[in-house]
Amino acid sequence: MGEGPSQASELGRFAEPAMLVLVSLSDGPKHGYAIMTDVEAFGGASLGPGTLYAVLARLEAGGLIEPLESDERRRPYRLTAAGAAALAGQLAEMGRFLRIGRMRLRGATEGPDR
Amino acid sequence: MKAPRLHRFLVGWYPAPWRERYGTEFLALLEERPPGLRQALDIVSAALDARIHPQLRPGPLLAASPPVAPEVRLPGVPPRSYGVVPSPSAGAMSRRAFMRRMVGAGAALLSLEFLGGTLAFLWPQFRSGLGAKFRLGRLADIVVQQPSFANGWPFSYTPARAFLVNVPAAKELALGRDASIPDPSADQLLALWRKCPHLGCQVPSLCEELKRFTCRCHGSTYNIIGEKLKEGPAERGMDRFALEIDEDGMVVIDTAVIVAGAPNLGQEYLTFMDPFPYDIKCE
Repeated sequence: MGEGPSQASELGRFAEPAMLVLVSLSDGPKHGYAIMTDVEAFGGASLGPGTLYAVLARLEAGGLIEPLESDERRRPYRLTAAGAAALAGQLAEMGRFLRIGRMRLRGATEGPDR
Repeated sequence: MKAPRLHRFLVGWYPAPWRERYGTEFLALLEERPPGLRQALDIVSAALDARIHPQLRPGPLLAASPPVAPEVRLPGVPPRSYGVVPSPSAGAMSRRAFMRRMVGAGAALLSLEFLGGTLAFLWPQFRSGLGAKFRLGRLADIVVQQPSFANGWPFSYTPARAFLVNVPAAKELALGRDASIPDPSADQLLALWRKCPHLGCQVPSLCEELKRFTCRCHGSTYNIIGEKLKEGPAERGMDRFALEIDEDGMVVIDTAVIVAGAPNLGQEYLTFMDPFPYDIKCE
């Protein structure tokens, strides 16, 4: 396969849910339901089941995650090395964004009096 | 265990290769977290997404077998498994069923649009003409416009094809007395439709001599409050519109509400009789 999206920018409207899924899988393999509850717990956002599996399919096609042996009927997914690297890159990018945003905001609030 | 009907229905929207790969685990997920309306919509839209992005369908698990050739089929070229049709798995939907469903949904949407358009087209929109509500103005304004209204002369309001009659003053006028009643109550007003109930000719203005209305077509004659007198073929008095004075003091005529004129029972049933003979008409 490997022809799928490997960059968040190629995921379109699924970029944000994809980040949530990658972060959720970064502390160990999880199956669909566990990802949903985990994302709700740390992300404060709810992923619909359709969106979740659209993201899983894309991430799997992009080689960022891989399926494991099915446990009864539920199948866990695991972050691949490529996935971990992509997530790290994304987080670094977001960190830069955060830093610049905070800096500019400070400049705006502590600016000269008017 | 068999999955609930709704779950199988939802999974049925996905293409077959997707179901083969994800169907089981997806049903397990739905079982643990039964979908509500929003989730159901999410699933259907994701399923359509899976249908328009076939390149995102992963191959079989643990890809020992070579990847499946992409599903590019020329029209007319039979599908691979020609002849033997595998029985669809639980909740599966064949391409044909999917097409049928989409055609059905399209037809339903189209007929809804037609229905909406038809309703919007037929919806009554009376802004003018018969059926509309007319705000004539305050009584004071009407008296300014036509001072004789206070003395009982009907006020002709052309847009509504109506005579506004100040009943107590009109009675005095018809009886040959002189009275000025500039502010009658709503109960003392009549909105006579200027359409002769005989064959629909427009009833002309009050004739000055008799203080009666006489239709020019066939001579049907009415007294000043629209009651049919002896002369002419009409079988009832002039019809009336509903009338009210709203909270702003405006006289409002509702031409959608028509009250049939009083029956023509003879002289003794009239509200009052003017001093002229019962059987004469305006010339």
